[in-house]
Amino acid sequence: MFLWIILAVLTAAVAAVLLATLARSARSSAPDRAGEIAVYRDQLAELERDRDHGLISAAEAEYAKAEIGRRLLAVAGEAEKGADCPTARTGMTATGVAVTLLVPAVGLSLYLLLGSPQLPDQPLEARLENPGNNMALLVAKAERHLAQNPNDGAGWDLLAPIYFKAMRLGDAELAYRNAIRLLGTSPERLAGLGETLIAANDGIVTEDARLAFEESIRLQPNNPRARFYVALGLEQAGRNEEARTAFEAIAADSPTDAPWMDLIRQHIAATGGAPAETAEAPKGPTADDMAAAGEMSEGDRQDMIRGMVDSLAARLQEDPNNLEGWLRLVRSYSVLGDKDKAAEALRTGLRNFPAEGDEGRQLIALAREVGLAVEGVTQ
Amino acid sequence: MIIEVGHYALVLALATALVVSIVPVIGARRNDAAMMALAPVGSIVMFLLVLFSFSALTWAYVVSDFSLKNVWENSHSMMPAVYKFSGVWGNHEGSMMLWLLILVFFSALVAFFGRNLPDTLRANVLAAQAWITTAFTLFILLTSNPFLRLNPAPAEGQDLNPILQDPGLAVHPPLLYLGYVGFSVCFSFAVAALMEGRIDAAWARWVRPWTLAAWTFLTAGIAMGSYWAYYELGWGGWWFWDPVENASFMPWLAGTALLHSALVMEKREALKIWTVLLAIMTFSLSLLGTFLVRSGVLTSVHAFATDPTRGIFILAILMLFIGGAFALFAWRAPMLKAGGLFAPISREGSLVLNNLILTVATATILIGTLYPLVLETLTGEKISVGAPFFNMTFGLLMIPLLIAVPFGPMLAWKRGDLLGAMQRLYGAAGLALVAGLVLYYIENGGPVMAVFGLVIAFWGMFGALADLWYRANFGKLPVGVAWRRLTGLPRSAFGTALAHFGLGVTVLGIIMVTTYETETVVEMKQGMTVEAGGYSLVFDGMREAVGPNFTEERGHFTISQGGVVVADTWSSKRLYTARRMPTTEAGIVTFGFSQLYVSLGDPIAGGGMVVRIWWKPFILCIWGGSLIMMVGGFVSLSDRRLRVGAPRRKARPARLAMEAAE
Repeated sequence: MFLWIILAVLTAAVAAVLLATLARSARSSAPDRAGEIAVYRDQLAELERDRDHGLISAAEAEYAKAEIGRRLLAVAGEAEKGADCPTARTGMTATGVAVTLLVPAVGLSLYLLLGSPQLPDQPLEARLENPGNNMALLVAKAERHLAQNPNDGAGWDLLAPIYFKAMRLGDAELAYRNAIRLLGTSPERLAGLGETLIAANDGIVTEDARLAFEESIRLQPNNPRARFYVALGLEQAGRNEEARTAFEAIAADSPTDAPWMDLIRQHIAATGGAPAETAEAPKGPTADDMAAAGEMSEGDRQDMIRGMVDSLAARLQEDPNNLEGWLRLVRSYSVLGDKDKAAEALRTGLRNFPAEGDEGRQLIALAREVGLAVEGVTQ
Repeated sequence: MIIEVGHYALVLALATALVVSIVPVIGARRNDAAMMALAPVGSIVMFLLVLFSFSALTWAYVVSDFSLKNVWENSHSMMPAVYKFSGVWGNHEGSMMLWLLILVFFSALVAFFGRNLPDTLRANVLAAQAWITTAFTLFILLTSNPFLRLNPAPAEGQDLNPILQDPGLAVHPPLLYLGYVGFSVCFSFAVAALMEGRIDAAWARWVRPWTLAAWTFLTAGIAMGSYWAYYELGWGGWWFWDPVENASFMPWLAGTALLHSALVMEKREALKIWTVLLAIMTFSLSLLGTFLVRSGVLTSVHAFATDPTRGIFILAILMLFIGGAFALFAWRAPMLKAGGLFAPISREGSLVLNNLILTVATATILIGTLYPLVLETLTGEKISVGAPFFNMTFGLLMIPLLIAVPFGPMLAWKRGDLLGAMQRLYGAAGLALVAGLVLYYIENGGPVMAVFGLVIAFWGMFGALADLWYRANFGKLPVGVAWRRLTGLPRSAFGTALAHFGLGVTVLGIIMVTTYETETVVEMKQGMTVEAGGYSLVFDGMREAVGPNFTEERGHFTISQGGVVVADTWSSKRLYTARRMPTTEAGIVTFGFSQLYVSLGDPIAGGGMVVRIWWKPFILCIWGGSLIMMVGGFVSLSDRRLRVGAPRRKARPARLAMEAAE
C-alpha cells in the first residue's frame, strides 16, 4: 500500500512540474537572438585582443571584422523580422490535458506490465539474520562463517554433503578435503569424497576416488557403499573376475532385502563371464543415473552408455589437450568391449601426448592394464 | 520497495521523455514559449528520475539484494565493496542504464548551460535528445530490464566476471560513455539546425564545447581501456584492432574531424554542411559501436550475455536514428547557405586536409570492421581482418596527417603563407630529426622506418611547442615580454598545443614499443635468471594466497641491473571460486616510461613455470600522450571564450537590444 502511495506522489509531482511550466510561461516570446549576438560580439572582442597582441596582422583583423560585422547585421535583421511574427496561443489546454494523462497512463500501464509491486526489498544481510528454513540461506550463512573461520572443520563437514546434493561438486570436493584435513578421516567423509570425485568424472571411478574408498573400507570394513564403488572400479578397469568376486562378497554380507541388492545382482550378471559384446557396464554420472539405467531395457542402457562415451569423445575432439579425458575414453571403450575404438582413442591420445612424455607413459600404462595392444600404436 | 520505486522512476522517465519529444517541437514550430519551456524542465526531471533509478539499482548491488535477477547474475556478497559499485555497469543491463544516465545527464547539462541559446534551437536540441532517450529507455525496459525480480530470491550471486573485477571497470566505461554519449549532443544540435533550416557561426560556437568535452572523455576512455586490456589480459598487447576497439576508435576519429571542422565553421562560417554531416556521422558511429558491442554480433569481453531480440531492437534504433538523420540531412542540407571562401593553403585548407584524412581513416576502419561480419552473414565464410590490414591502410594514412599537424596552427585564416610556416618550423624539424636519430642510436638497430616514425613523433611534439614559441614571439622579443605574451595567450591555444604534443608523445610510444619490444618465453625453475631489456629477473618461486573471492598462485621475481637489485614484483594466476574462472595478473614494473611485463603460463613438470617476459620500451608514452591530449581538451574547455554569454549575460541584454534595434 505504502508503495502505491509513493508511486502516486511521484507521478503527481512529475505531472505537476510539467504542467506548472506550461502554465507559468504561458506567454509567447519573440525569437530570442541575444545569444547569437553575444557570440559575435565576443568574436569581435577576441579579434581585437588578438590584433593588440600582434597574433594576427591588422589587415587580417580588418577582413575578419568585416565578416563578423556582416553576421551581426544579418542576425539583427532577422530579430526585427521575428518581432512582428504572430504567435498562436491555441491548444494550450489540449497540451495540458495530454501531459496530465500521458504521464500517469504510460507510467502505470508499463509498470503494471513489468514491475513486481508485491515483492519487498531483500538485502542479503537482513535475510541472513532471519534465514528460517531456507536451505540456500543457511548454506550462504555457513559459507560466510567459513570464510571468516576457514579452520572450522565441523562447518566443512556439515556443508560437504549439502554441496554434493546440490551438485556443486567442486565445492563439495573442497569441503570434504578441508573436513578431512581438519578433523581427520572418517568412513563417511572418505566415501563422500569418493562419490563426489566419481560424480565429477562422469561416473568413472578415478584413482583418487578408489584410494578414498579403500581407506574408508580400512576404517569400517563392512561398508557396502564403499565396497560397491571399489568393485565398480574393478569392473570399469575390465578386471571382471575380481569385480564379480567383490560384488558377490557384498551380496553375501548384505541382508537379502537390502535396497542395493538389485544393483549388485545386475553387476554380478554383467561381470559374470558374459561375452564381451553384450557386456553391460553401467557407468552413469551419479548413483541416481545408475539406478535409472538399471530400470532400462538392455538396448536403452547400452545406448545411454554409448551416448555418454560419445559425448566425451566429441569433447576431446574439440579440446584434445586433456589427459584425464583421454585416459577415461580409453578406459570407457575397453569397458564397453570396443577394442577398436579403444585403440583408436589411444592412438589419438598419444598424438597429443607423445609416448616419450610422462602423460604418454600414463596412457600406455593404462592401455596395458586394460589389455590393449600397445606395440604398433606408438609408432 | 526502493527497487520498485526505482523501476517506476525509470518508467516515469520514459513518459517524461515522450512529452519532451513531442511538445517542444510543436512549440518551436508555433513559436510558443510555454511549450518550448517544457524542454529544459522536462530534461532535468528526466535526469532526476533516471538518477534515482540508477541509484536504486546501485543500492541493490551494494546490499546484495539477490531478489533482483540482474544482481544475482552479476554480483556476489563476498565481492569487495568497490566492485559492488562498479559491478552495476559490469553487465549488459547495468551498462545500458549507465548509457541512459549519461545521456540524460548531457540533456540536463544542455538545459542548464543552454540559457544563451535561442529558444527554438534549445527546444529542438532537447527534443532530439529526448527521442534518443525514449528509444533507449524503451530498449532497457523491454529487452534489458535490470529491475526484473526473482521469487524466491537466491541466497548467493553468481559473481561478477573476474576479468571485470578490477579498478579499470570503475573508470573505463563511465569515461567511454561520457565520450560516446556526449556526441549525442552534437547530433541533436545538427538535427535541430536541420529542422530549423538555419545554421551559422554561432551554432558552431555552441556545439564546440560539447564536441570538445565528448572528445576529451572519449580520448581518456579509449586510453584507459587500452591500458586495462594491457595489464589485465596478460598478453602484453595494448591495441588489438579488435572490432570492439575499432567501434570506439571510429567515433573518436570522426569526433576529431568534427572538432576541427567546427573550428572552421565558427571562425569562417565555411564547411557548414560538412560539419553537420560529421556531427551526424560521429554519433551514428557511436550508435553503431553500441550496436556491435551490445547485440552480440561480436564476441568479446564486452559482449556479456547476448540475446538476439536485443540485437534487433538496437538495430531498429540504429536504422531509425541514422536513417532518419541522413534523410533529414538530404532534405534540408541544400537549403543551408554556403559560407566563407578560402584559399587551399590556409588554416581552413589544412583543417580540410585533416578532415579528409580522418574521414578516410574512419572509413578504412569501418570497412575492416564490418567486412568480415557482412561476409560471414552472406556466405558463412569466416575471415579475420587483423593488424596487417590496419597497419598498412590506417598507418599509411596517418603519416601525411602527422606531418601536416604542426603546420595547421601556424597558417593564417583565409590565405596562409606555407613558406613562412615552413621557415618557422625549420627549428622544430631539425630538433625532431636529431632527437629521432639519438633515440635510434641509443636503442641501436631495428628497421630504418623506425627512425622516420620517431622523427614524425618528435615533429609533432616540437611543432606544437614551436606554435606556442612563435605566438609568444620568443627570440624576437625580450624573454620577459614574450613570457607575458605567452601567458596572455587564449587557453584554447594551449589546449591545441597540448593535444598536438600529446599526439606526438603517443606516436613516439607506439613506434618505440612496436620496434624495440622484446618477448621472452622461458621455462623457469626456482632460482633461474632471465635477461630482458637490460635487466635480470630472478624467479624466487611460487606461493599460494587467498583473496576475498579467489585463490591465487603467485610467483615472485627479483629484478636487478648490473648486480644491484632495483625492484621486485609478483605475477599471479587467480582462480575465482564462484565462477571457477582463471585470470592472470601480470607483474608489471615501471622504469621511467618503459615497463617490464611478467606473465605466468602453465606449470611445467618437475616444478617451475612457463614465464613470458616482455620489455616494453616507452610504452607509458602511449597512454601518457593520451592523457596530455585529454588535459589539452580540458584546458580548451576552460577557455572563457567558450562560455560566452552565459555568466556575463545579465549585464548585456539592455545594450544588445539597443544595438539590435539600431
